Amino acid sequence: MGLLVFLNIVTPWVLAALIYYAKNDRVTNITAFSALPILLVFSYLIYINHTTSLIQTPEIVDYLITIYDFGLLGYFLYQGIVKKSTLVTSLAIIQILFLIIVLLMKIHSDIPNIYVDNLTILFYFIVALVGVPIAIFATKYMEFDERGKHKFVAIVIWFLGVMNFAVSVNNIEWFFALFETTTLASFVLIGFRKDEEATNNAVLALWMNQIGGVAILIALMVFIHINGFYHFTELLNHPLEVSLAGLGFLSLSALVKGAQMPFHKWLLGAMVAPTPVSAILHSATMVKIAPFLILRISPVIKGTLLAKLLIITTGYVFVVAAIIALTQSNFKRILAYSTISLLGLMMLSAAVGTPVAVVASIVLIIFHAFAKGFLFVEAGVLEKVFHVKYIEQMRRLIEKAPLTLMFIFFGFLNMTFVPFGTFIGKWMMIEEASKFLSHGSYIILILYVGAGSAFLSVLYMKVLGVSVRKAHGISNIKFFPLPKRFNFVSIWYYVWLLALTLFIAPFIADFVVPIANGITGESANIVSNHLSLYVGNSPLYFWEILGALIILSLIHALPYFVKFKVDTVHPYNCGEVFPKYMGTFNFECVKRYENILIAFSIALFILVVVLGGGLL
Amino acid sequence: MINWIIFAFLAPILGGLIYGIERVVKARMQGRMGPPVMQPFYDFAKLMDKRPLMIHSLHALMGIMYFVAEWFSLFVLFLGHDVLIAVFFHVLAVLALVIGASSVRSPYSVLGALRELMHMISYEPFMVLMVVGFYLVSGSFSINDILQSEPLIYKLPLVFMAFLFIIPMMLQKSPFDVAEAHQEIIGGPEIEYSGPFYEAVYTGKWIEYIYVFFFMFLFGGRNYILGVILVIFAFFFVNLLDNATARLDFRKMVKFSWIFLIPLAALNIILLALWR
Repeated sequence: MGLLVFLNIVTPWVLAALIYYAKNDRVTNITAFSALPILLVFSYLIYINHTTSLIQTPEIVDYLITIYDFGLLGYFLYQGIVKKSTLVTSLAIIQILFLIIVLLMKIHSDIPNIYVDNLTILFYFIVALVGVPIAIFATKYMEFDERGKHKFVAIVIWFLGVMNFAVSVNNIEWFFALFETTTLASFVLIGFRKDEEATNNAVLALWMNQIGGVAILIALMVFIHINGFYHFTELLNHPLEVSLAGLGFLSLSALVKGAQMPFHKWLLGAMVAPTPVSAILHSATMVKIAPFLILRISPVIKGTLLAKLLIITTGYVFVVAAIIALTQSNFKRILAYSTISLLGLMMLSAAVGTPVAVVASIVLIIFHAFAKGFLFVEAGVLEKVFHVKYIEQMRRLIEKAPLTLMFIFFGFLNMTFVPFGTFIGKWMMIEEASKFLSHGSYIILILYVGAGSAFLSVLYMKVLGVSVRKAHGISNIKFFPLPKRFNFVSIWYYVWLLALTLFIAPFIADFVVPIANGITGESANIVSNHLSLYVGNSPLYFWEILGALIILSLIHALPYFVKFKVDTVHPYNCGEVFPKYMGTFNFECVKRYENILIAFSIALFILVVVLGGGLL
Repeated sequence: MINWIIFAFLAPILGGLIYGIERVVKARMQGRMGPPVMQPFYDFAKLMDKRPLMIHSLHALMGIMYFVAEWFSLFVLFLGHDVLIAVFFHVLAVLALVIGASSVRSPYSVLGALRELMHMISYEPFMVLMVVGFYLVSGSFSINDILQSEPLIYKLPLVFMAFLFIIPMMLQKSPFDVAEAHQEIIGGPEIEYSGPFYEAVYTGKWIEYIYVFFFMFLFGGRNYILGVILVIFAFFFVNLLDNATARLDFRKMVKFSWIFLIPLAALNIILLALWR
């Protein structure tokens, strides 16, 4: 077991080193492909002999990580000085000081530093199934007028290993090291193109994420000072004694990593990087640390004031990010805002912390990872093959890029409609919140979920509406031949999403529910029967799932194949001559309030720190 | 169970009848005779007989998918037993309508589709709240349980009042008929359909009548007579409103819904939750 976990973490690093030093197209491509089966097999082997396990590591690793920590922070300091960013420099200095304090306070403890439970295994699977295909995609993507292909792919694969490590640590000090390593990874990846904009955004991402690092260090200090421990398992074993202030700071770092408002700017800044970066940041890694962290501590914070404040904050972000997404015209930014929004929902349901809510959170994490990876990959295809970046350019995409539009269509359907996973997450959340209503609280939760999902549906329908606009009479759609690796990745995601949706009931009941039970310690009342899903007393029958799936497949795929043999006419026009250009609502009116909305989110954020952390 | 299946199968006919009655009622309110009650079915026969014309296949297909999705969501409402899920299934029909309407290069149709989305923003969150209100009274999301609980209107009067104004939004009647505004965008999403394809959209609308008024019926709880009375009252009220008012700006619709109707429903639910 220990060996397998070790291999799962180290193999990506070895592969990355191989790619980095070989600098050979063939080696890069084959290695990237081979990472898929390798990581998948390791994850599967860990899954089948899964017992929640604590793994002892040699003493030396602890020292190595401490040395690595200082090296990393020194690098941040160096970058701060080189890039002339006072924020980065001062935050790095603060981090170094705090780290020294933490190390001085730290007491020796024999608790193993690696903790692998079902949640960790889930993330191994996500990294293998969602993350690696993006690396494969990157091998082709970087061949389109981009430089540094080998280096880029190497960083991406190395990042996957870091993510695997980050989700398996037990020691919070180690977690800090890996948290900052993901910060480093995002810094390097965002600044990859090395032009001015990229550098600025990389620095932005760096200092914002450093704030998260500082918050973890403060949390560590509080934990060690008040409770005397610094391991996740210890937190979970002593739920009543744990200091709320420490938990508050820990969840603060989650909010920063999860790009919740007002810290959403760094994730948007990541849009200047090559598209696989966005794909990997948004789907499999990085931002998913945020819901992961909240899920880790959710049994401890359940029902506290902190949990309620987290619910209010993240729910607010869920709605507001969806509203602001309506005003965007850059396709990648639209996707980014919808990620921020859905991350809010994931953290909200993780913070609620009841078994069903945790199941909802996990379902959202899984399906969001697949769908977002898918959508960003398609955004990359649009950008490189069809040179489309903005909504206005997406007009008549159905004639220009039919296959890609079909994939985007499917990805969008996955983000909001019945019977796909993201919908099921929302549905479970509303059902769960209705149960709380009987004690007269959490109505805001229902409003959040209802409103947010309405806005997201509008967003997706609006974008799709522009893309399917089609000239009269042109009926022969030409399928433009796309590179094989692009098609492989797209079809990979497509088939997974389709299969998971079709068998969603057994998937949730047999795979997700045990994970949630492991986290909460209670059993969620969710069962599947003949492919139908029963959440408590509410059924989602298989005929409903199948029927909706068929209708949606007909809507998104059939237009390419159905040709009615009837006469065609021109659109009715009242006899007027109009320019053949129709725009779409850009929701300018929201922009006026954008600053107010963000200011309010800052207020909520401070509330989490002050009240949730128990500072008052 | 079997009654529900039969009922769902007959929904288009029933919806057509309601539509016919509505035209008569509306005409009488305006002091006209109005067409015969069976007029929608005569229209049906006439439209089916017409020479089929279309803009392109995608557009025509979406018209048919609108009908299919609308009917399917009605089946889910009647057979699925979970009202909350039925609310979300209704979005499938909206999707088909919006995709179809925005797939043609006609300004009226595209504008109609975009306004249809504004409709969705206005009524979707309310519907979720309303169903949660049902849950609070009856203790279950299942239709069968709701139909056996005490009449919901006693406990959800404010939600009921708000729903009276949501109905015009869902059925596209004045003052909220912004999507199909006959005078300015001449039918909106459905303008480009003709012949049998228009027939599909037209019948889809009848089914939507059943869908919406069934929610009204649920307010009656186990008192079915009360439910029927509520439906008839809502029917007359909505038609009176339709006749008496002019169309509002879509911004006003969204504002009215978000500033007045949704808080009203939320207030009712909060008070109810505290009362228990």
